[in-house]
Amino acid sequence: MSEWTKKSPLEWEDYVYKEVRVIASEKKEYKGWLLTTDPVSANIVLVNFLEDGSLSVTGIMGHSVQTVETVSEADPRVREQLAHLFTSADCKGYSP
Amino acid sequence: KAPEAEEGQSQDPPELREQRARATLRERYLRSLLAMVGHPVSFTLHEGVHVTAQFGATDLDVANFYVSQLQTPLGVQAEALLRCSDVISYSFKP
Repeated sequence: MSEWTKKSPLEWEDYVYKEVRVIASEKKEYKGWLLTTDPVSANIVLVNFLEDGSLSVTGIMGHSVQTVETVSEADPRVREQLAHLFTSADCKGYSP
Repeated sequence: KAPEAEEGQSQDPPELREQRARATLRERYLRSLLAMVGHPVSFTLHEGVHVTAQFGATDLDVANFYVSQLQTPLGVQAEALLRCSDVISYSFKP
């Protein structure tokens, strides 16, 4: 078990909207803007903006996370885009 | 709702701030899973194995991914459960 899975929600929240580099099992490396970390599984969700204007979303399983380092601080424009991601009308089925 | 929950009021007790952070993070994670339903997802498993499948659902503690049309080196599996402990990462285009 990595240190990542033992962090508190407030510590995980510190990384939200920042650009991070994640090293996972088998030397896998991921970079992207951190959308969230699931407080149950410690899974990380990264978002990358592709050149064609589309998005790519990557989930990294908490159990395989070895290190997480901040590459750059939250950018206001990226923050704005991430804040509204997956909250559009077509996702409202989840709303309590 | 999420927007006001994001502003951590520093005068609040730590338990409350922690609970609020937990709720915000969890809600976003669940929404990201919801956005993945029905999309082709590519999974990176241990020992360099890559498989793709249509995402269906996961359990509460994210221990298994229920998928369909799992493309494996041995052929296509109509329905399958991927154990999350076997998965390193997954990715999809929303």
